[in-house]
Amino acid sequence: MAFVELSGVTKSFHKGATTITPLDDVSLTIEQGEFFVLLGPSGSGKTTLLHLLAGIDPPDRGQVVVGGKDIATLRAGPLADWRAEHVGYVFQQHHLVPVLTAWENVELPLFLFPLSTAERTKRVGFALRAVGLDDRADHYPRQLSGGQEQRVAIARAIVADPPLLLADEPTGNLDHDSAQSVLDLLARLHHERGKTIVMVTHDPNAAARGTRMVHLDKGRLHEEARR
Amino acid sequence: MNLRGSFRLMRRNLARRPARTVLTVAGVAAAIALFVLVESLAAGLDRAVSGSESARTLVVYQKNRYCPQTSFLSQSEAVRIAKIDGVESVLPVKVFLSNCRTSLDTVAFHGVPADLLFDARRIDLIAGDRATFLQRGDAALVGEAFAQRRGLDVGDAFRFNRIEVQVAGIFRSPEPIEENLIVTHLELLQRSGAVNKLGTVTEFEVKISDPARGRAIAAEIDALLATSAAATDTRAKAAFLESATADLREILRFGRLFGICCVAAVLALVANTVAMAVRERIGELAVMRTLGWRDGRLMRLLLAESCALALLGGALGTAAAWITITTTRLTLGVEGVLVGFALSPRLVATAGAVALLAGLLAAALPAWKATRAPIPAALRGA
Ligand SMILES: Nc1ncnc2c1ncn2[C@@H]1O[C@H](COP(=O)(O)OP(=O)(O)OP(=O)(O)O)[C@@H](O)[C@H]1O
Ligand SMILES: [Mg+2]
Repeated sequence: MAFVELSGVTKSFHKGATTITPLDDVSLTIEQGEFFVLLGPSGSGKTTLLHLLAGIDPPDRGQVVVGGKDIATLRAGPLADWRAEHVGYVFQQHHLVPVLTAWENVELPLFLFPLSTAERTKRVGFALRAVGLDDRADHYPRQLSGGQEQRVAIARAIVADPPLLLADEPTGNLDHDSAQSVLDLLARLHHERGKTIVMVTHDPNAAARGTRMVHLDKGRLHEEARR
Repeated sequence: MNLRGSFRLMRRNLARRPARTVLTVAGVAAAIALFVLVESLAAGLDRAVSGSESARTLVVYQKNRYCPQTSFLSQSEAVRIAKIDGVESVLPVKVFLSNCRTSLDTVAFHGVPADLLFDARRIDLIAGDRATFLQRGDAALVGEAFAQRRGLDVGDAFRFNRIEVQVAGIFRSPEPIEENLIVTHLELLQRSGAVNKLGTVTEFEVKISDPARGRAIAAEIDALLATSAAATDTRAKAAFLESATADLREILRFGRLFGICCVAAVLALVANTVAMAVRERIGELAVMRTLGWRDGRLMRLLLAESCALALLGGALGTAAAWITITTTRLTLGVEGVLVGFALSPRLVATAGAVALLAGLLAAALPAWKATRAPIPAALRGA
């Protein structure tokens, strides 16, 4: 079943007289439960594509349908609510809130739902255990290593149990071991929890974890492999 | 929305740069304190001239006196004034002021014939009794405001320069300015003055039955006394209070303007601080928006942060003004008219509203901009 459907999507940026078109009439279907890997040179538009899927940037043309909903037609408020419920986003840089502890950062998305304190505590604990950081709950981001911060960011992305996970080079800034543990975690979320994952990466080793690889270059998508 | 979550975020954000937060709060506090002091003095002034009896009271002074203490009228003229048609009562008053220029913390004695006092003025004793006052030549009745200011109680002695009185009672009055007075026996004040002024008083307080005839009666009094030892200048008490406090009003007008400028300056300060704080967090706000926080919710969070700062500052400023007013118990005296600071609950509410408005105004634009900025661009800046 198609979970994500892009049809005829174009997105360009204008800088002075020059126009960059990272996505040029792109169509793409991602099935539910797919571990989709997006490859491409720097500046090719991978992050831009994730932004469109998350509904934080609208396309210039075309449709973005996620879970049967054309998100480009939603107004800002309902779109935010939709995001809270459906999308977990792992940023290229982790982007944790510096004044909140690991625990509080992970708890942040849950405040958007009518949950009891006990339920929130249960879910945050679960997410932090999933990323193996329950012993670092009280640490502030500055007291964590880069890999740990990225894992907290993943915990934050999965805590509300969204069906779609978007991960923008989640291992880009990590050493080999940290990268492996983050990839293991994503693979587990895919296998055990049936999440649909869209991961951007430059790393062939990371890409190998996916079920499907697509290359983005000069505004076009090229299918590379499918398992 | 989960209030606890918002509240925690707010607290953490304010604690993020403690020095900046403290300075902002201090700035707001200073401005609000100034605002409250100026406004409560203005309110005190309004209260001072608001006496209900001032329309049907005339005040007779020596002409061309430049201070109450340089007015000397022969006490015996009271009898002649009392005979004028329309005059109900005449109260000769000897005034002693600690300072007759405009000054803070003025002490004012009124010496009056004890037998006339209670008919001429409304004295509502809240402590002590009339009999003790009448019996002792050095007894005094002290206005409630003054008693509070100086911590005086019945039985206490109060001394100023060569004048010493025993407090026999504490009174309230429908005339607010009289609550700042020490009322004692006329002879006591006369004896404390110069020997050659023994038979003199400072002013006559003339009660008339018809306020509309005030001008005519005043003219009649001045005509009657024109040939006596000292020519007089008689005015309605209301007019006298107005003219005595005219300079003060002028200064206050300026002071109020100054207060408003201060509030405006602080508004700019808070606005700048909030703008800075929001700019710093624009990426973080974009992250929260990506997580699904609605723009309106974030906007409310930012407004709440700013308002919390402003309200805290407003509360501290109001408290500082209140402490200043109650501990120093300043009274501004001009020409024997005593003006206290009147800090009413309404003024406190106004100060709170001013602070709140400043907080809202300061944050409105930065918060609006931050929550309307495109998320991708804001993330890039993070
Ligand atoms: N808001 C913007 N304004 C102007 N140009 C932009 C904007 N966002 C992206 N671009 C441009 O669009 C192109 C694609 O950017 P994008 O961030 O999607 O690339 P990317 O594939 O994620 O690159 P990288 O691998 O380096 O992260 C780049 O050339 C970038 O400069
Ligand atoms: Mg990118």
